[in-house]
Amino acid sequence: MNRFGRSLIAVLVGAVSIRPAASADLEAGRGFWAFQPPRPAASPAVRDTGWPKSDIDRFILARLEQEGRHPTRDADRRTLIRRIYFDLVGLPPPVAAIDAFVQDDSADAVARWIDRLLDSPQFGARWGRHWLDVVRYADSSGGGRSLLFPDAWRYRDYVIDSFNRDTPYPQFIRAQIAGDLLPFDNPDQRARQLIATGFLMLGAHNYELQDKELLRMDVADEQIEAVGRALLGMTLGCARCHDHKFDPIPTADYYALAGILRSTKSLTPGNVSGFEQHELPMSDERRIELDNQRRAVAEAEAGINAARAELKKLQARWIATGAGQLVGVVVDDTQAKIVGSWTRSTFNPGYVGEGYIHDGASGKGEKSVTFPVTLASAGVYEVRFSYTHGSNRSPSVPVTVRHADDEDTVQVDERQAPPIDHRFVALGRWRFPAGTSDAVVISNEGTTGHVIVDAVQFVAVELLDKPAGDAAQTIAPGTAGPRTAASGGAPPQGDDAASAPRIAELQRDVKELEGRLRKLKENAPEPPPRAMGVRDEQEPGDFHVCIRGDVHNLGPEVPRGFLCVAGAAGAPPPVIASGESGRRELAEWLVSPDNPLPARVMVNRIWHHLMGAGLVRTVDNFGSTGEAPSHPELLDWLALRFIAQGWSVKAVIRDIMLSRTYQLASEPDGAVLASARGTRPALDGGSGATHPEPGDVAPAAADPENRLLARMNRKRLDAEELRDAMLSVSGQLDVTPGGPAIRSETTSEYGYIFDSNRRSVYLPVFRNNLPDIFEVFDFADPNRVTGRRDVSTLPTQALYLMNSPFVFEQARHAAEAILENDTADADRVELAYRGAIGRPPEARERELALRYIEAFRPGKNTEPARRRLEAWTRFYQVLFASVDFRYLH
Amino acid sequence: MFPIGERPTRRRLLQSTACGFGYLALAGLLSRSQKASAAPSTNPLAPKPPHFPARAKRVIFLFMQGGPSHVDTFDPKPRLARDNGNAFSFPNDRTRKVESFKLLQSPWSFRQHGQSGIWVSDLFPHVARHADDLCVIRSTVTEGVAHGPSTLFLHTGAMNLVRPSVGAWVTYGLGTENQNLPGFVTISPSAANGGPRNYANAFLPTTYQGTAIGRAGVPMTQAGIRHITNSRMTADEQRHELDYLRELNRAQMRQGGADDELEATIDSFELAYRMQTHVPELMDIAHESRATLDLYGIGDKDTDDFGRQCLLARRLAEADVRYIQINYADNTANPRWDQHSNLKLHAVHAHAVDKPIAGLLTDLKARGLLDDTLVWWGGEFGRTPFAQGSDGRDHNINGFSIWLAGGGVRSGLAYGATDEFGYYAVENKVHMHDLHATILHLMGLDHEKLTHRYAGRDFRLTDVSGNVVRDILRSR
Repeated sequence: MNRFGRSLIAVLVGAVSIRPAASADLEAGRGFWAFQPPRPAASPAVRDTGWPKSDIDRFILARLEQEGRHPTRDADRRTLIRRIYFDLVGLPPPVAAIDAFVQDDSADAVARWIDRLLDSPQFGARWGRHWLDVVRYADSSGGGRSLLFPDAWRYRDYVIDSFNRDTPYPQFIRAQIAGDLLPFDNPDQRARQLIATGFLMLGAHNYELQDKELLRMDVADEQIEAVGRALLGMTLGCARCHDHKFDPIPTADYYALAGILRSTKSLTPGNVSGFEQHELPMSDERRIELDNQRRAVAEAEAGINAARAELKKLQARWIATGAGQLVGVVVDDTQAKIVGSWTRSTFNPGYVGEGYIHDGASGKGEKSVTFPVTLASAGVYEVRFSYTHGSNRSPSVPVTVRHADDEDTVQVDERQAPPIDHRFVALGRWRFPAGTSDAVVISNEGTTGHVIVDAVQFVAVELLDKPAGDAAQTIAPGTAGPRTAASGGAPPQGDDAASAPRIAELQRDVKELEGRLRKLKENAPEPPPRAMGVRDEQEPGDFHVCIRGDVHNLGPEVPRGFLCVAGAAGAPPPVIASGESGRRELAEWLVSPDNPLPARVMVNRIWHHLMGAGLVRTVDNFGSTGEAPSHPELLDWLALRFIAQGWSVKAVIRDIMLSRTYQLASEPDGAVLASARGTRPALDGGSGATHPEPGDVAPAAADPENRLLARMNRKRLDAEELRDAMLSVSGQLDVTPGGPAIRSETTSEYGYIFDSNRRSVYLPVFRNNLPDIFEVFDFADPNRVTGRRDVSTLPTQALYLMNSPFVFEQARHAAEAILENDTADADRVELAYRGAIGRPPEARERELALRYIEAFRPGKNTEPARRRLEAWTRFYQVLFASVDFRYLH
Repeated sequence: MFPIGERPTRRRLLQSTACGFGYLALAGLLSRSQKASAAPSTNPLAPKPPHFPARAKRVIFLFMQGGPSHVDTFDPKPRLARDNGNAFSFPNDRTRKVESFKLLQSPWSFRQHGQSGIWVSDLFPHVARHADDLCVIRSTVTEGVAHGPSTLFLHTGAMNLVRPSVGAWVTYGLGTENQNLPGFVTISPSAANGGPRNYANAFLPTTYQGTAIGRAGVPMTQAGIRHITNSRMTADEQRHELDYLRELNRAQMRQGGADDELEATIDSFELAYRMQTHVPELMDIAHESRATLDLYGIGDKDTDDFGRQCLLARRLAEADVRYIQINYADNTANPRWDQHSNLKLHAVHAHAVDKPIAGLLTDLKARGLLDDTLVWWGGEFGRTPFAQGSDGRDHNINGFSIWLAGGGVRSGLAYGATDEFGYYAVENKVHMHDLHATILHLMGLDHEKLTHRYAGRDFRLTDVSGNVVRDILRSR
């Protein structure tokens, strides 16, 4: 459809009155800076030609010179190497590295150290995590009944690996949007591409939402929002209900995208829905092993089914002829009143009637089975309950018998074989009136494991108390509807007892085959590796506008497509291959060099992480409610250079870090201050949602937010850096890469113990249960795209550093290590400082440390060695809490 | 990030140094600032003027997790007794089909109480004595059917999308009076059915997240705030350590002069240290009289735990905490009041909470706190008038009861009505969005004006809905 077509939709939609106040006009929208193609600009001329090391520096310096300012001094070597280490690998530099760097005065020293760290596998662990923030990575679904994502780690590892390989950005994005649809050269590439589609699956959802159509729409909505914010810096969610009020994104554009994502299968059906998965390619060897296993299982199952079918026939005849009739009144589960979802099964033989039912070990407390029983005469009956036993059964099933006098609940252990003919257990004897009543109720309330319900049997006691033999013999395989025993007489004998041996034989066969099946399953080869990921729906197609966002109120259909404003005017709509969702085309559009947004958004994210603030500080919002760039020409220059260098993330990082701007000190020098008093720099644009508002206290100095970058921004270590740094200093850090995040056997995130000493990126990210240190120190909210984390200063952070066992343990390990140095305390302080904060202590710091350690007096009777350990532990704890440990200058 | 030696704007500073625990006196900072009087308006947790005069200063929400049955508690339905066991057609919210169900009469009798004659079943003999203090809304409707979505809807106004909880909105709108304590506290919250999302700030600043005291499944006698105590050292030892830390941090601050961000970081340790004393004092009920403990049922095995929660809520209310939630909750998928079978268990739950709640109402009243404290009792939904199995009830979102007391609502009022079965609200329906709007209104906040801009648009607790239920407001 052409532009005109889209606006026609808008008009139609308007006719059904879903139009809000005027939306931003499309053509005017194209004039907005973010939708303009990046413009090449020559690096500007500067007065102080000696200062810049690179083009980046010329952009920065030119702007400063306009304001009559000059950059501050360069950072000292120790500060710089600490900054480079944390920024590239998220870890403190080893003492030896600091010393080597400080002594390395060759011209390319910084470049060589940067290259060395860019090549380190720890680089991906750091920069992969930045991406995981953006894609709201988590190891559970969150929502009401939070589901574990046991295979999400494969996506995490894929991301880390992609950053380590420096995968070109378009390839990286293409795989995440449409990896399942892309060609591949080898199984490894196929696996990576399937895993990458996990990006679309990672949203926080309430899979138990009962309105499944709404859930499906919510999933598509979340995917649109994630794609918009993560890749385009656009907030698209607004357009679900009405045209975007601030950006030129009409509702039709939103549903054009929704058509693509609704043609994409993310959910699997169920009361609690599931998420789509891919089976990953395997080696031929493993494939053959698995195929063999599958064949053997199929054979065993076929054998069981055949035996069962014959069994059923024989049993039917048995019943028809009246043989093997059970004594007394038998009520099968098929005649019971069933509440909740029970599953019918014939898997285990020996049941009464047409199989039995089980609760699937789920919905505890929601399910019950009530047996109506009709008795011809009042009297005392033995009540029996039938089930098939097994080790996965509930050890305590409450069976309530309502009799003439009261009701009693008997707990049945279904793990044990039923004692009477391997089918029944006697619950007791009670008095019953004649007539029909809901005499037996089985509930799954409070049970664990599977609850099996097969049948109940009422046997008049006078029948049972007859001489042994009669009753027992007649209880043979078979079934019966509600029947009344001949009053006072012996149970009827069958005429067709001859089939009994065959029945027994078949039941033995079934048992034997089931044993074989169980063994096959026990000795099964590892299951095929799986990954969360999407695939195309069976019948992809366009979707409708949902009027006011209501998925049950559909308006006109909208052809699938992308954002009009980010394409050239009059550009033809995308041609989507028939039978496909359109994700391949979407992926191409998302990384097209003609799309003005993706390169800008990504280089700005990189700038944000290295410089402490983006050129556009609202890194996920390049729309009109976001901020305008502080240096628009520099942003365009970086974006174009990113594309020109093959979309290499590492190349952009290297460019920025090699600039003199990056290598500045974070403290202003006197000269800057002197010239800086006065006005705030005039920065153009932005509606300034985060700009200071009029009426704020005036800043004491110009550029208080350092938007002109006359100096480096000081950065606080984030949660992962802080934790990894403490583990690093204590010598406990485990740098093993990759693999599952969640301990096997874990069934729920609640109460999970985070006891691993691996790098923080490998801790599970449970949406409803984050590791304490993550929660306290502003870890990215895994429920939403987070390109820029909060940096809050809270007393809870102080409490964590003062009182958490984790900090204490790391301090203790560090203390033990430092005490192994057979040297004077002053030297130990020296060593400790160099190891923890990358520099020797100042005189005042040394004095404070020694005084504290000397004066340390815990309880009275502590022995000296223990006291020393305590003292050094506290010393380290204080060091971990100090500002120079927690901030990068 | 602020440059050392340069002054950030006060707004920026306070945004980034907001203290979750409210204590943002930043004494050192203010003393250096000539405009100390300007500070309260920029501290994100400082009390803020409401949009219009408030009727309530604080909220105590008694969350009955699992969904208590209205037709067995506050909404008598004689029809159920008359037609007990008879089948009628009802739409099933789960299957979206009309199905036949058998009515189930309530095992409990209802009586009228007080001068107002409000009906309360025998499940709540103690609360019944406060009938004239209650405003029972018998026509509440909500969304979600299953526990997770409905619980999130109750707390955040959204079933699936990530939104801030009511308590976060209220503290965002009003700040809090006591800067030594959190503004939003939740006592013994459940980890299930949304867990922390039910008291999270979502996209509001971190400052407004709820602080958990204890958690469901852990007795109140062991409840606390995480990392609030240190068993490894005495208070003196810790003081000594913090003195060392303070001096070290001062030494590490560069010659650049005052640095507000680092000052705030340094101060946060002093604030935390003070909190370590304040919170345990607040939790310590040793000085409460025997009569008070008895009032709440503390000491009686059945009511002890919930009684302690209620008493702590009163102490928090006295200390001017803005939003207090008490949770009668556990961590299962079928929580507490969720009687799909064995409805009799309602008696156990009612017994556990009845006396403590009545005690709380009595105590608040005696201390003159009920007038400006809004007490809210309710679950995520009600239950069906028909049977599930032989003796249980399923979830019902189409009409159920909650009650409010104090805080500017009309007392002795039964508002709205369900149909003769108790399945649908038919008169004066109060949607959960309406209830949220009304609670904000009582706190002096206009639910349409209490917005926060995030991801390019302004969000509200009530999304695009919600009407203040003016009929239940006490005339001034």
